[in-house]
Amino acid sequence: MERFDRLRGAVPARPHDARAIAALAANPGCARRAVMDAAGVDKDATATHLGFPAPFGQSPFAITRGNAFEALVKDSGCAELLRLLRELLGLPIPLAAYTDLGDIGGNPSAHLRHAHTLKLIDRAARDDDEAGTLYDHPLLRLEIAGHTSYLEPDVVAFRLAGRFHIVEIKSFAIVDGQAEPDKVAAAARQAAVYVLALRTMLAELGHDPARVSHEVVLVCPENFANRPAGTLLDVRRELAVLRRQLSRMARVGAIVDGLPEELTFDLAPDADGVPTRPVPELREAVRTVGARYAPECLSTCDLCFFCRDEAAAGGSTELLGRQVRDALGGVATVSEALGLADGSLTPGEGQEEIARLLRLADRIYAEAG
Amino acid sequence: MSERLDALEERINALRAEVRRAVRARDGALARSLRAELRGVERAWDQALADQEPPARETPSASEPDEAPRAGAAREPGALVPVREQVHQALTILGVPASAKMIVAVHGALRAGSLRGTQLASLRRDEERSFRSSPFARPYYLCAALTDRLSASRGLLTVSTWPLERRAIGPLSPRVDFLTTAIRVAEHILRLEEAGEPTPSGAERLLSRLAYNVPGVPVAPDAPPRPAMVVKAARAELEVHAGADADARARIADRARARLGDAERLFGGTILSLAREEAS
Repeated sequence: MERFDRLRGAVPARPHDARAIAALAANPGCARRAVMDAAGVDKDATATHLGFPAPFGQSPFAITRGNAFEALVKDSGCAELLRLLRELLGLPIPLAAYTDLGDIGGNPSAHLRHAHTLKLIDRAARDDDEAGTLYDHPLLRLEIAGHTSYLEPDVVAFRLAGRFHIVEIKSFAIVDGQAEPDKVAAAARQAAVYVLALRTMLAELGHDPARVSHEVVLVCPENFANRPAGTLLDVRRELAVLRRQLSRMARVGAIVDGLPEELTFDLAPDADGVPTRPVPELREAVRTVGARYAPECLSTCDLCFFCRDEAAAGGSTELLGRQVRDALGGVATVSEALGLADGSLTPGEGQEEIARLLRLADRIYAEAG
Repeated sequence: MSERLDALEERINALRAEVRRAVRARDGALARSLRAELRGVERAWDQALADQEPPARETPSASEPDEAPRAGAAREPGALVPVREQVHQALTILGVPASAKMIVAVHGALRAGSLRGTQLASLRRDEERSFRSSPFARPYYLCAALTDRLSASRGLLTVSTWPLERRAIGPLSPRVDFLTTAIRVAEHILRLEEAGEPTPSGAERLLSRLAYNVPGVPVAPDAPPRPAMVVKAARAELEVHAGADADARARIADRARARLGDAERLFGGTILSLAREEAS
């Protein structure tokens, strides 16, 4: 733990939210992200200080639209959501109870709200008939690399036939049964975080964690209207990735042990919070931990521009996306691949096959003119 | 001047009777033109009445300066009434705790009002301040709905003259109140129809929006749902929830009576009283 404190410097650890946790699962191979997240480093501030501010955070318009759509779905005791659940899962008519776990008067602490959530979920898990069906704003908790993070979910959990389901409300449209795959994937990853947190909570309460369904209900606007429609999403794969990633973070010590003892990402902020650490020094420190850049990082990681710049400077094949990188297994840089293709470079051991394919591709391009 | 008003009123009455006959005879084109004429005469009547009023009394709505420019064409019926009065009207139509959004929608659709959500933002706080400085000085207060923890429910408005049972929010109450809202809106439209009044298009839109989430209402594309069907379907679901909801609400109301003071009973308990509740 002291090691992490030294890595982070003299600032409090940054709490994780579901979005950040989901992003972790998006690129499990990245040691840089794993170490910095485990230490609770403020990656945004680091990136800004390095001169690569992330284009990050949602646009205010997207947030407003998301909130408006969510309000529409949850209006009048989740009237729209009840209709969807009745159509989609055959929720019986008498099950219409709605409890807002976030609404306990004034603005109480996370701890109090979590206790309230625990109490009600426990009652619901005991299959008390009066315990209700829909639970809005449950405050869940997840342990990440030794830190306990509260997840502030805009999510509804509901109970049907003794099983809990998570409802994830997103404002991207499903047009003609199709939605943008990466947005659905991001929603699934985020929902998986909530499923995992709710399972953890049930396990803490001494119930069977498997009672939280791995099928989440995704609610999105349908076609070009603002009318909500629901689909079931299987998040088993995302759950497995997330679990593996979280256990890796718990074991991130192994990566950290391989790092130099004096390494720190401390920005050395002065009294006004302005970072005073020399930029070249910080750059060296960040580079000490290897990154695995992929174009997908641009939508999930604060450090993306820094890593992209690094990958571009090294001519790395990672810039071209995961598929290309995997297809060019064993060839690290773009110039190396080009050299193999035009025959100016002799393939090393194990590179013969990929070199043959590259030369073939080169010949085809040459013939095509 | 008052003779002119009398003449206009006679003309309005005659036109209304003609509209009714045309509607009964299913002569749509005639009914439309008669309605247009009726609206014209009503505007003239409004204007004539406004001319009679002394100018000082014309703008009692000083707190709503935005209303003034729009009042030129045809004064909106709600514009002369204070915001709290308009909210009270909408809540009286609904008869259940409602969110600011629903109040604005209902008032806009059924009373042709021009309430805006932002006008309601500080309403509850203002009412609470007024109550605390001089309790029970007003005939009614717009106040909070009470959750099962006896705190103010987020975003819901009620009227202080309602029984506590109606102002309490149990787990099933949001659904029950939603169904009641649908019934009240449908009944209001039915009453308009019976009186031979045209249904405002806003009211039809509101009703179809509500009816969409009531199970068992036949949905026809392009046609608004029939109010009578909405009432029937909503009553059917309401029957399922009514008993359990009434019990839960009565329990909350009893606790509120036993534990909360006057002001807290109207505007919700504080964290401190919640903590006491937890401890007991």
